[in-house]
Amino acid sequence: MTKKILFFSFILCLTVSVFFGAEDEAAYMAIKGARIIPVVGEDIPDGTILIKGSRIEALGKDIPIPPGTKIVDASGLYAYPGMIDGYCYLGLSEIVSIAATNDYRETGRINPQVRATEALRPDSMHIPIARSNGITAALVAPSGGLIAGQSGLIRLTGWTPEEMVIKKSVTMQIEFPGLPGAGFRRERAPREDASKLVTELQDMLNKARYYQKTREAAKKNLLLPYPEFDDKLEFLIPVVSGELPVMISVQAEKDILAAIQFVREQKLKAIFYGVSQGWKVASEIKAADIPVVFGSLNDMPPSWEDGYDAIFRNPSVLQKAGVKIAFSSRSAVSAKDLPYHAAKAVAFGLDKREALKAVTISPAHIFGVSDTMGSLEKGKLANIVLADGDLLELRTNIRKVYIEGKETDLSNRFTELLDKYKSREEKEK
Amino acid sequence: MNKTLAAFILGIIVTALPCFSDGGNLLVKNGTILTVTKGSLPKGDLLIIGGVIKDIGENLKAPEGVRVIDASGKFVIPGIIDAHTHIALSGTNETGDVITAEVNMRDVIQAEDLAIFTALTGGVTMAHTMHGSANPIGGRDITLKMKWGRPAEELIVPQAYQTLKFALGENPKQASRQVFGGAPQRYPATRMGVNAIIRAEMLAAKNYMLQWERYLKDTKGKNPPKTLAPPRRDLRLEALAELLRGNLVARVHSYRADESLKFIDLSKEFGFKIVCFEHIPEAFKITRELRTEGIGTSVFVDSWAYKVEAAEGIASSAAYCTKNGVLVSINSDGGERMRRLFNDAGKTLKYGGLTEDEALKLISINPAIQLGVAKTAGSLEVGKDGDVAIFNEHPLSAYARCEMTIIEGDVYFDRAQYLKEREEAAKQAEEAKKPGGGQ
Amino acid sequence: MSTLKKMSALMFGLWACAALSPAEFLPAYALVNCRIVPVTSPVIKKGIIIIRDGLIESIGMVGNIKIPEDAEVIEAQGLTAYPGLISAHTNLFLEAPKDQQPGFDEERAPSRPLAEKAVQKPDLQAFELIKPNRSTIDGYHRIGITTVLVAPEAGIFAGQSVLLNLNGENPGAMVVKIPVALQVNFVSERNSYPSSLMGTVAFLRQSFLDAQYYSSYRSQFARVQKGMKRPEYDPFLEDIIPYVIEKKPLIITCSNQEDIKRALRLREEFNLNVLLSGANEAWRVVDLLKKAQVPLLVSVDFRPPASSLYSQEGEQEKKKAEKDIYPANPQVLAKAGLKFALTSFGLTDPAAIQKNIREAVKAGLPQEEALKALTIVPAQFLGVDSILGSLEPGKIANLVLATGEIFGDKTEVDKVFVDGKLFVMEKKPAEKETIKRPSDGGATNAEFGVAGFPKPGQ
Repeated sequence: MTKKILFFSFILCLTVSVFFGAEDEAAYMAIKGARIIPVVGEDIPDGTILIKGSRIEALGKDIPIPPGTKIVDASGLYAYPGMIDGYCYLGLSEIVSIAATNDYRETGRINPQVRATEALRPDSMHIPIARSNGITAALVAPSGGLIAGQSGLIRLTGWTPEEMVIKKSVTMQIEFPGLPGAGFRRERAPREDASKLVTELQDMLNKARYYQKTREAAKKNLLLPYPEFDDKLEFLIPVVSGELPVMISVQAEKDILAAIQFVREQKLKAIFYGVSQGWKVASEIKAADIPVVFGSLNDMPPSWEDGYDAIFRNPSVLQKAGVKIAFSSRSAVSAKDLPYHAAKAVAFGLDKREALKAVTISPAHIFGVSDTMGSLEKGKLANIVLADGDLLELRTNIRKVYIEGKETDLSNRFTELLDKYKSREEKEK
Repeated sequence: MNKTLAAFILGIIVTALPCFSDGGNLLVKNGTILTVTKGSLPKGDLLIIGGVIKDIGENLKAPEGVRVIDASGKFVIPGIIDAHTHIALSGTNETGDVITAEVNMRDVIQAEDLAIFTALTGGVTMAHTMHGSANPIGGRDITLKMKWGRPAEELIVPQAYQTLKFALGENPKQASRQVFGGAPQRYPATRMGVNAIIRAEMLAAKNYMLQWERYLKDTKGKNPPKTLAPPRRDLRLEALAELLRGNLVARVHSYRADESLKFIDLSKEFGFKIVCFEHIPEAFKITRELRTEGIGTSVFVDSWAYKVEAAEGIASSAAYCTKNGVLVSINSDGGERMRRLFNDAGKTLKYGGLTEDEALKLISINPAIQLGVAKTAGSLEVGKDGDVAIFNEHPLSAYARCEMTIIEGDVYFDRAQYLKEREEAAKQAEEAKKPGGGQ
Repeated sequence: MSTLKKMSALMFGLWACAALSPAEFLPAYALVNCRIVPVTSPVIKKGIIIIRDGLIESIGMVGNIKIPEDAEVIEAQGLTAYPGLISAHTNLFLEAPKDQQPGFDEERAPSRPLAEKAVQKPDLQAFELIKPNRSTIDGYHRIGITTVLVAPEAGIFAGQSVLLNLNGENPGAMVVKIPVALQVNFVSERNSYPSSLMGTVAFLRQSFLDAQYYSSYRSQFARVQKGMKRPEYDPFLEDIIPYVIEKKPLIITCSNQEDIKRALRLREEFNLNVLLSGANEAWRVVDLLKKAQVPLLVSVDFRPPASSLYSQEGEQEKKKAEKDIYPANPQVLAKAGLKFALTSFGLTDPAAIQKNIREAVKAGLPQEEALKALTIVPAQFLGVDSILGSLEPGKIANLVLATGEIFGDKTEVDKVFVDGKLFVMEKKPAEKETIKRPSDGGATNAEFGVAGFPKPGQ
């Protein structure tokens, strides 16, 4: 009898210890043998990244690895931080021409109250496609009108919106008029005069300040009237208080200057988006200390006189002037192409290293999450991409994508359809 | 922007034109020559005389008076060919009727379209520019060389196939009208209607051909009756008759696999040739049929999900079809993308694992075959036209940039020259701004 | 109604107007001591012109011409007499075009698509659309223009043009030639067929083919009668046939160099009698035009067409080309030995027309060529050179008395004669009372400032 009890308790202990021990052992993972490009700090030609849970515990050439660490052999591969898209519609659009599938453009001109993350569709077929090209986080933002709404930051994995959202409100989107395209694009007059818009915005922000002040005062003094709820001004309070930066979409040279002045006078934290004539006023943008997120580089120059390569060389000019830059896909369907916008800018003068920063650490800085992502550094989240070549190159294949230490599924709509129809060809052979 | 600067930009575009003869003479020296069909030379020369490639090899000597272009460190490829676009035309669709086979893009060539210059900045030397997809049967298309600054007639490539545009699916059935309303819905409004109207027109064309056959026979007879009058000449039916006779070939805009298969049946029913399906994101589903029928595809590399019928496109379709014996070309369908076709080709290395040569073929010899110009274009071979693009990096690299574009031995785009002139103009503009300076 | 019937009715109406209204009294004039530039004969330094009954009676040197007793003598010392200028293509006086509804093809069964063909009115007469007014006429007189061709403007086959002398507000009395030519434009309407330029080209070809077919079938039927299905009557084709079979003249408006090529291809395919109008890009296809030997009505509207590189480059470039490049068009054509008329087509402000003609001269067009292009050449092209286009005895008395060389910057027009009627250019255009005569269109000499009798010293 005692023998039996001893035997069973031994088995029990073993199982329990294996069970619990396995947990402890699986908490560590090490990626070994890769050429590590941390983006911040020197490259490590043949290194190891040690991951504990969701964070990078250590990285270097020879680092001690705790026993029981899960080893991932990455020899011959490159390890990069996961890329961050500076503006996209992932999760907000499935089929561009079908309105029922699009949720990034609310009706009306003034919509500070809407939040992109509240329309997020985690099952979007475009998310796994982007993720499998090395993009691990993205700014999802609404567009349209004058004030389009609030952008949010998401991780490109998760079963529910809550699991995806990193930051539910990152910037307030403001849009200045665009420019008619150059050359063979149909000429269209800009929608509205930018100077009128600035006046309108100034009025609104002043009203919001007043709204906040009155409310604060009324809270303290019961005798003072408490203002009626205003569904627009309410959501502008974080902007005027400096908590919520504005992202201003602006293209033309004179509009950029007007926007800089606006931002200065209103004492707002600002990011500029698009900025296709930014190269003309690079020093002014630098002086104002405003970072820039570029739109898609797959575009004609805003004016034929700017030159056929204006959009392509714009990032290099701004970066060399000292402006902090980031790239975006401005798309859901083409979100996977984020790295190639950066590469196109390199073809027209941008330094390769700066290009890589502009899709990793710089957007992290700009969106206030550089303490947790954007580079491979101790303490940051383990958002790691293992690639068989240069991350920005067209021919590079992504082998693994880790988000917060967990390996993600790289299968997607493309691979599923291909597998299905491969079987048709193979059957007939 | 200053007037002078603007004038100089214009000047660059208009006046930086080669001295024309019947084709130019050039020696491209010391570049990495990617012939696409006959291997590569890591450090080679390419000689063009009278607009035709005379020699490819190492240490070639330039005959007297021939301009030498230093291509050291650069990559030399055949001029890129876009098999499907709509540039350089005054108008895209004749929307006033449903079947408009009588219209001809040759009548509306717009040789001053800035899109031609834009194409040159991306290494493109030839484009097949087409009627749009508004109608089940559109019109005749035309193949042009991007000879910026030359009159329209000189752009035409006479030996290219004469093509007739067909369209299937959402565009010709005006699917958006069903959703958004507007003008009254025209017939056909379904895919079955699209097929039915094409069949009806083919039958009408056959009828027309028969009437003319009978008339011609009757007039040759012993005593043609006084009452014998010829049938009325109908330009629309004549175009279709040309298709049925094999003098025109069909280029068919389609998206779904099923509508493409049905159209293959239609082509067999009437005995006309389909050269390519255009766009056809679902091509990967029917590689077997495409291969068996010898029908090619001309596609975007990875545009999809912009319409319902494009919802099952995959980025590896071009590569997959190529590996399964289908002749594939990558196109732009427009002016902006045309200058990035080399980037699009690069994507097939990743999405589908093509080799470098296979990828380059998608934008050179494959479209040349589809356009019927493979004898004179599409690769760097002795005897072919001197259509060449020179890049600073391997063209399939994301970091590549087109430096020079040459058509039949004449330089039509030279980035170094362009930059120099831009700098000059900027200097002049600065001078003009100074008090009492410049003009 | 067939064109023939319409024309007959029109001619009868005009004759009736002329025959039934009392003849307007026109004095005979003797212009003395002026310099005379007859265009078709050498310049006379100091001469006399006798005008009687609306025609030139005689021209010659002072001393060689006897001044008739009944002639009003007009002292013209210091002035130069030129033939009145002709603008061979305008849209003057046209009232807003009537609403043209595209025809809805109800006949077609549901299995045939809706194809709304654009309405074409090749038989539309410009004469029926015009409403002349004196202030416009005065403006044109001031720049020396006494004769204009007015063509309808809307549609591919826009209608028939008319040649008018600017002699008053009575359209009937203004007509010099009617109809002149069929006006053809490369245009299209959005919601009908054709809706694009490519469609318009195909439509023109099909229309001409159909006219040939219809004509030959009709003739055959007329010969054979029995046993042949009779042709369906088609008024549109009836109207086109004279231009395809009898080679009556067509004026095709060409807004850019490609239009010129398109027009010439049509001309070749159907062996048409074509005049090209507009053609401000003719300088770009000079060799082609040399081979084609086609009459050119070249507009002095120098705005670059939308298709040109200059227009695509933006407003600045477009304006620069308008100032520096396109005004050289006429001189390029002259240098190449091409025969052309100058027209005001596309411009409506007389001051702009005059400025542009002078620009063309400044850009290198020799003055004599410019003058010919506005007088004898358009008269020849329009088939009226036996009665207009130069100062010759027997021709219509259309004259311009100018204070100097007609294209000189400072030159002004002092007096104008149209059909022998005198118009003095007042320093300020004055509003005069309308004196209506019974059974007259209402316009009289009195409206034009001077009742035909010049003041001494004028």
